Amino acid sequence: MNAWKYHPSPDIGTPVADRLQSFPREPGMLVYALRSIAAVLLRAWMRFYHRLRIDGRENLPTRRSYVMVCNHTSHLDTLCLLSAVALRSIHHCFPAAAADYFFTSLPRSAVSAILINALPFDRKAASARSLELCSRLLEDEGNILVLFPEGTRTTTGTTGRFRSGIGRLAAGNDLDIVPCHLEGGMRAWPKGKLWPRPHRLHLRIGRARNFRHLDTSAESVRAVCADLQECVSQLGGSRA
Amino acid sequence: MAIDLVTGSTVFLGYAIITGALLVLAGLLLGLLRLSGRDVSSPLSTYRGWLIMIPIVLGTLLLGREATIAGVTLLAAFGFREFARATGLYEDWWMTGIVYLAIVALGAVSLMTDPRLGQPGWYGFFMALPTFVIALILLVPVLRNRAQGELQKVALAIFGFVYFGWMFMHLGFLANTANALGYLLFLVFAVEINDVAAFTFGKMFGKRKLREQISPNKTLAGSIGAIAVSLLLPWLLWFSFPHFSPALLILTGLIVGIGGQLGDLVISYIKRDIGIKDMGATIQGHGGILDRVDSMIFVAPIFFHMVRWFNGAG
Repeated sequence: MNAWKYHPSPDIGTPVADRLQSFPREPGMLVYALRSIAAVLLRAWMRFYHRLRIDGRENLPTRRSYVMVCNHTSHLDTLCLLSAVALRSIHHCFPAAAADYFFTSLPRSAVSAILINALPFDRKAASARSLELCSRLLEDEGNILVLFPEGTRTTTGTTGRFRSGIGRLAAGNDLDIVPCHLEGGMRAWPKGKLWPRPHRLHLRIGRARNFRHLDTSAESVRAVCADLQECVSQLGGSRA
Repeated sequence: MAIDLVTGSTVFLGYAIITGALLVLAGLLLGLLRLSGRDVSSPLSTYRGWLIMIPIVLGTLLLGREATIAGVTLLAAFGFREFARATGLYEDWWMTGIVYLAIVALGAVSLMTDPRLGQPGWYGFFMALPTFVIALILLVPVLRNRAQGELQKVALAIFGFVYFGWMFMHLGFLANTANALGYLLFLVFAVEINDVAAFTFGKMFGKRKLREQISPNKTLAGSIGAIAVSLLLPWLLWFSFPHFSPALLILTGLIVGIGGQLGDLVISYIKRDIGIKDMGATIQGHGGILDRVDSMIFVAPIFFHMVRWFNGAG
């Protein structure tokens, strides 16, 4: 008689805290259930507390992997974008979150990893490795990456300069980038405030951009960043 | 019916004092060893794990029947989760989902009142539940029209449910007995002391291996020492179950001493067959949940049936 073959989960010996911070995570039924419940509650909160309006949902690709880029005004941005994607895709929707902020303590990591499904993004030391993680994620079908190319929340209200990461990810690759713009986030939940206020939110989703015709030079990277920044600003109805 | 608060609190106080004293003693010992320049990082981590676990366990037991059953249900669910993650069964959501639901059902049945006898805990349903759960697990491949590799999944799911769910959760059902607090406190305390005794005697006198193919660290001396300690414990802690006859005290000691070590050995060969060291890394310095509760899985159901046989529902 042949012996059985077991397939232990690769993270079997890692403590819970480390498991939350590592990526990619092993899918677990308990986590999926909690995340699904959280997603439904989140949608209700967005709809009734913030009266979130979403325009251009039809611009989201259905089959392919894609990246959503958005201006970053508050923590509400991520939650709005998560509310915009189809409910069945939330387990494949990964908001890139600063590892030095969202994965510093156990409770924060738990919320980020379990409820938000965040991808720990190292914006300081190892951003190249984080970007490689992102591009590997996008090679698989049906994954959604949420990126805030400004790298941090705005304090002035205007969209800041896009950092080069998104350019390096998109230039020369057959990858759909969906520009998004959220209005009202900064007034609803300004940086430094503990709780959001019941302010109206408006999310506009633009047409997907594709930069496969470009090469991977530094110039193309800058062009991609400028192009996307322009798209996002235009969606918001103003010129950067 | 649930927990007699007057006798319950004295029993509880007794155990709180004993565990508190043991913790202080162990802490002092570790401190002395550290001062003498030994490396105590590994036992210190285990000790810290105890410092977190003991208040949680004592607090849950003190909260009463419902909290105890809920706590045991949670432990069983997370224990099975470790088993599923270790074997790879976790990739099959149908199988794991059914077992999770079945574990919750066991908890619910333990909480319910027996509709015919009017006693807390629906004993008949608790004992009959495995039949239905096993039938349901066996039906999954039929419903999915699959055969390849299904026997392994079915077998793992049934084993996981019966062993980590049903057998272990007799511990929760014990909370329905009149002397619940005394039984539960004794079992948890005695099973852990049994583990510690096996380790200590093994370290001090151990030469001949007990089962070298399964667990190379366990020795015959450790095993005999643990059984001796376990036989002694019911006499020292007679106040936990003052109605027990001397014969029952001996039987209790044997169940804890032998059953505890069997549970340990079973988890050991499961881990060895899979090829992993610990079932998880949930508890600091102890490994996974199953690495901690393994000894209880044999002890709980056998002790439960001993109590039921000799004392009726009491």
